[in-house]
Amino acid sequence: MCNGDCGNPLVPIPGKLIKIIEETPDVKTFHITTDQGKPFTPMPGQLGMLSIPDVGEGMFSITSQGQEHLEISIKRVGVLTDALHEAEPGQPVGIRGPYGNGFPIDKFKGRDILFIGGGIGLAPVRSLIGYCMENREDFGKIEILYGARSPEDLVFQEDLFQNWPKAKDTTVYVTVDKGNDEWKGNVGFVPAYLEQINPSPKITLLCGPPIMIKFVLQSLAKMGFQEDDIVTTLEMRMKCGIGKCGRCNIGSKFVCLDGPVFTLTEMKDLPPEY
Amino acid sequence: MSDTVNKMRELARDLLAKGEVKYVIGWEKGTLWFQSPPVFITSPDEVDRLVFDDFAINTLVTYLLEERGHEGKVAVFVKGCDSRGLVRLLQDKSVDRDRVYVIGLPCSGKKDPNQAMEMNAGDASQIPLAAKCQECTHPNPVISDVTIGDPVPEKPNQGRFGNVNELEAKTPDEKYEFWAQEYSKCLRCFACRNVCPACNCKECLFDSTRPRVLGKANTLSENQVYHLTRAFHVAGRCVECGECERVCPVGIPIMKINKKVIKDINDLFGPYEAGVDLETAPPLGQYKSEDPEEFM
Amino acid sequence: MKGILRTKIPQALDALSSGAQVLAPMKINGVSRFACWGQQGELVLGASNTLIPPKDAVFGQTEKMYKYQMGQEAVTIEEIPQDGPQLVVFGIRPCDVRSIQALDQVFLTKGFVDQIYKTKRDRSVLVALGCSQPQQTCFCSSMGINPLDADGADVMMWESGDTYSLEARTDKGKDLLAKLEPFLTDVNNSSPPSPKFSLEFSMEGVTEKLQKMFEHSIWDKWYRKCLGCGICTYVCPTCHCFDIQEKNIKDGQGYKFRCWDSCMFPEYSLMAGGHNPRDSKKPRIRNRFLHKLRYFPERYGMLLCTGCGRCLRECPVNMDITRFIREVREVTLDV
Repeated sequence: MCNGDCGNPLVPIPGKLIKIIEETPDVKTFHITTDQGKPFTPMPGQLGMLSIPDVGEGMFSITSQGQEHLEISIKRVGVLTDALHEAEPGQPVGIRGPYGNGFPIDKFKGRDILFIGGGIGLAPVRSLIGYCMENREDFGKIEILYGARSPEDLVFQEDLFQNWPKAKDTTVYVTVDKGNDEWKGNVGFVPAYLEQINPSPKITLLCGPPIMIKFVLQSLAKMGFQEDDIVTTLEMRMKCGIGKCGRCNIGSKFVCLDGPVFTLTEMKDLPPEY
Repeated sequence: MSDTVNKMRELARDLLAKGEVKYVIGWEKGTLWFQSPPVFITSPDEVDRLVFDDFAINTLVTYLLEERGHEGKVAVFVKGCDSRGLVRLLQDKSVDRDRVYVIGLPCSGKKDPNQAMEMNAGDASQIPLAAKCQECTHPNPVISDVTIGDPVPEKPNQGRFGNVNELEAKTPDEKYEFWAQEYSKCLRCFACRNVCPACNCKECLFDSTRPRVLGKANTLSENQVYHLTRAFHVAGRCVECGECERVCPVGIPIMKINKKVIKDINDLFGPYEAGVDLETAPPLGQYKSEDPEEFM
Repeated sequence: MKGILRTKIPQALDALSSGAQVLAPMKINGVSRFACWGQQGELVLGASNTLIPPKDAVFGQTEKMYKYQMGQEAVTIEEIPQDGPQLVVFGIRPCDVRSIQALDQVFLTKGFVDQIYKTKRDRSVLVALGCSQPQQTCFCSSMGINPLDADGADVMMWESGDTYSLEARTDKGKDLLAKLEPFLTDVNNSSPPSPKFSLEFSMEGVTEKLQKMFEHSIWDKWYRKCLGCGICTYVCPTCHCFDIQEKNIKDGQGYKFRCWDSCMFPEYSLMAGGHNPRDSKKPRIRNRFLHKLRYFPERYGMLLCTGCGRCLRECPVNMDITRFIREVREVTLDV
């Protein structure tokens, strides 16, 4: 009953949800642990298969980790995520991983970084931001640009407004598509706000809904960013997580094994089917 | 035959050249001499691919479902059985009548390419008529904008339920055993559902995850759920074209149960043939005060 | 060379069945597949090829993986063991042996080793039967396979008159022949006649060309007549896509299984939330052909089509991969 090197890689470890945080009306962050503590130690950008065995199993990016637990932020979109959102702390779950190639951290070391997230796309990005914060000296200036539909849909608000802005040499820009009476921050789409901020070309990590990615890529190109310096994550339906069941393929690459992290150069080599 | 084929090609060429239709659905020769699979002719210079030989057995009307949500007109060739399938689609409001140009082809019966394969036949004369054609009750198309070829003599409506009597003579245990043996062969490929003109739901129950009615496990019980549910879903609407049974790769006698259901409906609601006339609604799709209600 | 009289084959299979599970080409209820020798059915050794490919010996249509018991406090997960006796796949054709080699690449290489497949594969012995009379739909030779010699076989068998001659190729094969000692006689070392194919073509440059044809108009013509059923994927010896689902029994008890899935079905790539990257027949057909002829060779260095011909025979609308390949060869790309 373990992962990777012994036993069947498709069999999960029994665990449970020990803490559930409501981020927005449809996003919750789950803390998962097992009898043996943290089930595995993922690198930033890696994924895990979380299941409620009698409901289903799904692949999620691991947004953060503690000494004894993993943190996964999940948006409510289907059968499994419905059940997870209805669950209470103590809910037994299955967990297996880590999967995926993770972020190419060495590429980011010693450089100024631009993080761009949209909606729930901030979840995978957060794992790398967290790593940078813990190893702050290894990385240069950090700019974080995040956008959501409305102030209620902003995730990780404690990080966005308290933790990250306090970090050394770190600037956080937050925008919403549509404000409300209390919102004092920027109102506007991420691509437009990005062009307003006008950062100089640097290594960029970008995650969000396909439509946002499309327009942000156009803006980054306009602003002279190098394709090899733009890193993003792709998503497909995944079932096995280990590159065998075939369905998450984009061309000859499997998102669960060769991805989900790709540079823009690598992405342009793939058939445009995602 | 070849005069018919020439006329088919001429008509197709004409329709495409004038831009009256986007494409013409017909048959062409396949890999082996006994295969005449469907073809989509999109330009006038391709019409010579069209054929109408002993093996032009596939129904073409189910492809009209792909036009849902799109625009433009399409031409389709129909034999007698196919035309009933078209009536089915029209009655179920899955296809717009004014988006189809129907070219009728009277048909005296086709031959099954699978039989040709199994018999390792050298030419068509060695192969009998396909099983579904032996029970044909409507060799002439019941709906068309134009017909090519002379009408074929109508067939008397007999022997329609021959197989059903054999089934009804079994005891319940024998019936269960018989169907358990057949359904355990099922691969759950869904060819029967996909070729059937009566299966025209935009989202099939068996594809839905909420609720999930059918798992993917290939067990006898799941297969039974699939087949028996489908038989009930098409009950009263099945046009007896027999395509489901013909496309089944493992030879499940799907029409046997469909005919049994049709016979029961005939007994309960009076003689009825689906897909023959656009005006008469299927018996299970309407309420009449004379409908039997022994349970009241 | 050693051989067995055709009439002695049933006894030979009986002998092999002690301590092993023998899968031979059998016709049961009109369907031919590799089924357990000794149960009901008619042996159809030597009769062209089975409808259901022998991939189900090492990759079953439905395979139970683990049991779970949901509780208030915890869930218990128990792996279902996959061990069993030796699996002798008797009479497998060279095209199907090549398909097992392709499945080996998928399940045993690149990062993770699939334990269920490995357990079954480690205990399998392939006794291959060479073909001297291919069917009208066979084209293995065009896919680089020698119909008279399967390089992944443990034992190679050839038909010659009333005997089958046998040659062990591996240690497993030698052990198997030892078990057949009582039935073996000496036979002439005559090589079987060279098979003639009616379907023959070159595969040269096809993968390279397809690398440039993702947006080509050829796909607009090819997807239309497909019914979107799963026949091709289920009768294909190399298709290996699977789904994972749960079967709840009662009181929180159940098991997770994996089962064959088909990329032809719309929900294959449907994501929670509704986005479907391949939401119509055209991308699905394109994905299937490209997987066989381009993606798999790019990833594993071999074609995922073995020329067995089942798909173009069983497809109700004759989607013919050989015709597709010939059309690709005739395409001229703008440089």
